[in-house]
Amino acid sequence: MTDIAYEGWEPVIGLEIHVQLSTASKLFSPAPNRFGDEPNLNISAVCTGQPGALPVLNKEAVRKAVLFGLAVGARIAPLSKFDRKSYFYPDSPRNFQITQYDQPLLLGGVVAADVGEGTKHFCIHRAHLEDDAGMLKHFPAFGGVDYNRAGIPLLEIVSEPCMHSPKEAAAYAMAVRAILQYIGASDCNMEEGSLRIDVNVSVRPKGKEGLNDKIEIKNMSSFANMELALEAEIRRQIRAYALRPHDKDPIDKGTYRFDPGKKETVRMRTKEEAADYRYFPEPDLPPLHLSGAFIEEVRRSLPELPHQRYERYVNRLGLTPYNASLLINDKPLSDYFEEGLKHCAHPTHLCNWITVEFVGRLKETGKRLPEMGIPARHIAKLVSLIESGAITGKIAKNVADEMLLAPGLDPEEIVRDNSAYQPLSDSKEIGAVVDAVLIENPDSIAALQSGKTRAFDFLVGQVMKRTQGKASPSVVNRLLKERLKRD
Amino acid sequence: MDTALAYKERFVRGEMKATEIVEKQLSFIKEHDPKIGAFLSLLEERALKKAQLLDAKRRENKPLGKLAGIPIAIKDNMHIRGEITTCGSRFLTNYQAPFDATVVRLMEEEDALLIGKTNLDEFAMGSSTENSAFHPTKNPWNLMCSPGGSSGGSAAAVAARFCPLALGSDTGGSIRQPAAFCGLVGFKPTYGRVSRFGLVAFGSSLDQIGPLAANVKDAALLLEVMGQHCDKDSTSLPLPPANYLAELQGSLQGKKIGVPWSFLSSLRDPVASNFKEALGLLKELGLSLIDVDIPILKNSIAVYYILSTAEASTNLARFDGIRYGLRSQKAQTLSEIYDLSRDEGFGDEVKNRILLGTFVLSSGYKEAFYKKGQQARTLFIEEFRSAFTLCDLIALPTAPSAAFELGTFHTPLEMYLQDIFTTPANLAGLPAVSLLSGFSSDKKPLGLQLLGPQLHDAEVLRVASAFEEALGLCSASPSLEAKP
Amino acid sequence: MDFSESELEKLSRLCRIELRSDEKMRLRENLSKVLSYIEQLKALELEGVAPCNHVLPQLKNVLREDRAQETLSREEFLKNAPQHIGGMIRVPPVIRMEE
Repeated sequence: MTDIAYEGWEPVIGLEIHVQLSTASKLFSPAPNRFGDEPNLNISAVCTGQPGALPVLNKEAVRKAVLFGLAVGARIAPLSKFDRKSYFYPDSPRNFQITQYDQPLLLGGVVAADVGEGTKHFCIHRAHLEDDAGMLKHFPAFGGVDYNRAGIPLLEIVSEPCMHSPKEAAAYAMAVRAILQYIGASDCNMEEGSLRIDVNVSVRPKGKEGLNDKIEIKNMSSFANMELALEAEIRRQIRAYALRPHDKDPIDKGTYRFDPGKKETVRMRTKEEAADYRYFPEPDLPPLHLSGAFIEEVRRSLPELPHQRYERYVNRLGLTPYNASLLINDKPLSDYFEEGLKHCAHPTHLCNWITVEFVGRLKETGKRLPEMGIPARHIAKLVSLIESGAITGKIAKNVADEMLLAPGLDPEEIVRDNSAYQPLSDSKEIGAVVDAVLIENPDSIAALQSGKTRAFDFLVGQVMKRTQGKASPSVVNRLLKERLKRD
Repeated sequence: MDTALAYKERFVRGEMKATEIVEKQLSFIKEHDPKIGAFLSLLEERALKKAQLLDAKRRENKPLGKLAGIPIAIKDNMHIRGEITTCGSRFLTNYQAPFDATVVRLMEEEDALLIGKTNLDEFAMGSSTENSAFHPTKNPWNLMCSPGGSSGGSAAAVAARFCPLALGSDTGGSIRQPAAFCGLVGFKPTYGRVSRFGLVAFGSSLDQIGPLAANVKDAALLLEVMGQHCDKDSTSLPLPPANYLAELQGSLQGKKIGVPWSFLSSLRDPVASNFKEALGLLKELGLSLIDVDIPILKNSIAVYYILSTAEASTNLARFDGIRYGLRSQKAQTLSEIYDLSRDEGFGDEVKNRILLGTFVLSSGYKEAFYKKGQQARTLFIEEFRSAFTLCDLIALPTAPSAAFELGTFHTPLEMYLQDIFTTPANLAGLPAVSLLSGFSSDKKPLGLQLLGPQLHDAEVLRVASAFEEALGLCSASPSLEAKP
Repeated sequence: MDFSESELEKLSRLCRIELRSDEKMRLRENLSKVLSYIEQLKALELEGVAPCNHVLPQLKNVLREDRAQETLSREEFLKNAPQHIGGMIRVPPVIRMEE
C-alpha cells in the first residue's frame, strides 16, 4: 500500500447554506410558515401549484435578507429579479422553483470566524431568495407528499471556495448561523431543517494556483457530521489522486452523501443527463429596485452582531476568548447571560457559573439552561452571594443543585431556609477550629515558616473541611494569619 | 336589440325578474346551443340562486350593482369557486376551482348573473376553438365556420344572443379575432389593467382578460367593473378604476390614426377593401390618417410563438397528475404518472407548444431563440412608442380573412399566421379593440382593430364608440330561430 | 431547421411528455416548420438591445405585508387529488432521488 502524503495537499472547500427565514407567512403566499404541523395544513393555492394562482413577494423576507446582507457587509443589488428554474419532482408544486439566477439580491460579504489560532475572514460570493420545496415522505408501500414546507422563504448563501480545512468550514458555518440568529432572520435549527448545508470540496497540491475538480456532499445533518464528512472526503480524494494518477476523473465527480455509520462519503445515483433548468425571468414578478432609503431603514434596525458582542465580552467584560466564543455561538445562552448581567457586577464569575456549573449539570439530561425556567437573575444573585461572602463557593454548588431541582426557587430563600448553608462567621467558633487545625498540622506550620506559601491554602482547606464549607473564607484567612503571627 | 344595458334596465325597472331573465336565457341556450356548442357547462343552480337574491334585493329597494340583471358567460379558463374549470382540456375535466378569479368576484359583487362556462381552444392555445378536447364551436353567422379562437365559445355565445356579455382572454388575439369573426366588440385592456388572478395562465406576460359584447358601451361597462388593482396579482397596475362609460363622449378633434401601410401589402379581399372603407369612415369622423413605419411588425408571429410557448411550457408543467387533474390509469411508477398523464391529458396543439417552448429555452438554443425573442420584444415597445409620437391610435385589420371553415388549417404554422395582426398588441402590452366593420359578400363579419398606447384604454374605446355609431351596423345579428 | 428524432426524444424527456410513435413524425414535422419560420429572428439587428422582461416598466417592488392567512383548507386541496392518504398526496413508492 503506497504511502500517501496527505500533508502535501490542500483542501478547498465552499459551502452552500440554505436557511429558512422565520417570517410569519411564506415567500409568495400568505400560507403560514410553521414547522411540525400535520401534512397539508399550511397551504395555499400558490404553494400547491393550483392553476390560476399567482405569486406575491413577502416584504419581510426581503427585509430579513437585506438585514443579513448588511450584517456581512454585502452589496445590496440595486436591481434584482426572480427567475423560473424548471425541474419535475413531486415536492415541487409547479415543477419550477422561483429563485434568483443572474441578478441575486446580495453580492459579496465577509464573515469573521474564530478558528483555533485566531480570527479568519471568509468571503461570501452571493446570496439570494428562493422558495422551498414541499416534502416527499417515503413509506414502504407508497410515497406521501406534504406541501407545508413548499413556499417557505429560503435565503441561499454561497461562499467563495475559501476554506481550507474542515475546522474552517465548521467555523464559517457557525459564524453564519450566529449572525442569522442575532438578526432574528432564522432559528437555524438543523434538526428541523431550517438550516441546511451542502459542501463543495476539492483538493490540490499545496502551492498550486488553480482548482481541481470538486464534488458536492449534500445535506449535512450537523456541524460535527460536516467536519467528519469533510475529513473523510478529503482523505478519499487525496488517496484517489495518489492511486489513480492517470485517470481522467480519479475522484468520481458527482453528488455524494455522508454515511455517519461508515464515516465515509457515498456517491449518489446520478442521472444520465445533466439537469437543464432552462432559467428565464419570472414574468409574474416585477423586479426589485430597492431604494437607498429602504436600505437605510433596514440598517437602522441592525442589532448587535455576534462579533460585536464577542468583542464586548472579551474587551470590556474580560471573558476569555474561549468562553466568549462559547456564548456567542449559542445565542439563547448568550441572551440568558445578558439578562443575568443586568443583575450582577461580576461578569466572569457569572459566565463561569452559567457555562460551567449550571450547563455542566444539565449536560447529561440534554436539556438547555435557558429553557429550564430558572430566571437568569437568580444565577446572578447566587454569584453576588458568593462575592459578598454570604456563602462559600462550596455551599453555592449545593444551592445550584437545588435550583435545578426546583427551578424558580430564589437562591436567597434556599440559603435562608437551610441552616446547613448558613455561613459560619462567628470568630469564636471558627477560632476554635483554626486552633485545632494548627495543633494537628505542625508540619504545615513548619513548611510555611520555611517559605512554602501553599501550606497556608492547605490549612484554610482543612478549616473549611471541618466546618463543612460553611466558614466564611475571609474570617478563616484573618484568624489563621493572626494565630500564625502569634507563634 | 338586447344590449347588456337594456337587460339591466329591464331588471332594475321591474319589467322582468332576475329569475325570469335566467330561466328565459337558459331555455333559449338549451334549445339552440346544441348546434352552436358555445357552452361547456351551464351554471343553472348558481345563476338561479343569485337571481333569487337579486330579486329580493330589488324588492327591498337595496342598492343594485352595475351589472345587475345581466347574464354573463365566462370562458372556461377562469375560476368560479366550487365549479369545474376545464380549460377545454381532458386534463381538467373534473377540476373544481378552489377560489374565485378576481374578475369573477368583482362581477358578482356588482350583481352579475354568471350563467355558464364557454368553450375554448385547449388551455387557450389556438385560433379556431377546434383544439377544444370536447367539441368545436360553430360560428352562429355560418355554422360551417369557426367562430375564431381561443375565446370562440364566448364569442359564439354573444353572437347567438345567448347572453349580451361574455369574458374572454387574449394572449395573441384570442378575444379580438373571435370578435371579428362573430361581428362583435372584443377588447383587450392594457397589460396589467385587469387582474389575472384566477385565470389559468398561458403566456403570463401576454395574457389579459377582456369583454366580448355586441356594442362598445356594454364592453365599457364590463371593463369598468373588471379594471381594478388586485393585490393577489403582482403584475396588476396600481390604478383606480376608470369611468369608461363617461369617457366615451369626448372630442375626436385633431386625433390622428396611424396605419403601417408597408406591413399591409399582402392584404387580400374582403379584408383589404373593407379595411380601406373603415379608414374612410374614420376620416369622415374628423380623424386624420397618417402612414407610420413599424418594421418589427413583420416578426410578430416569430417573437410571439417563442415567448408565449416558453412561458406556457413552464405554466403547464404543473399539470402532472400528482396534485389534481388526470392521472393515467396505466401509470405504475412516479415517472409514468408524469409521462403518461401528460400524454393522455394534453391535446396535440398543447403538446406542440410545450415542446416548442421547452426547445427555445433549452441549453444550447436559449441564446438563439428565447433571448433574441426578448430583445425583439424591446423593439416592439420602442417602435410603437415612436409611432405613437406621430399618431394617437393605430389601425389594423383584426384578421387576414373572415371566418374560415372548420378544418381549413392542417398545420400549426398555417394557423399561427392568422395571428399576424393581433399579436403585436400583446407583445407591447397595448390596449386594443376589434370592432365590427362590415361584412364579406358571403355575409361573414369583418373586424377593424384599433390600438392605443399603454393606459389609453379610454381613448381606444372612445374612437371605437364613434366608429360604431357612424357605421350603424351594431343591430345586425345572425339569424337563429326565435330570439328572445 | 430540421428536427431529429433524438432531439425530439431529448425534448420529450425534458418536458415529461411520453410521445407515441404515431405522433412523433407529425411533431417533428411541425416543429421543423415552425423553427424554420422563427429563425427569421437571426436576421434582426439586436446588438446592444436589452431584453424585455416586463412590458410595464413602472412596475417594481410589488411587496406584500407578512401576515399569515389560511386560504386553502386541506379538505379543499385534497378534493381534486387523484389519490391521497393520511392527508398527503399519494404517489407510488419512490427510490430516493437526489434533486
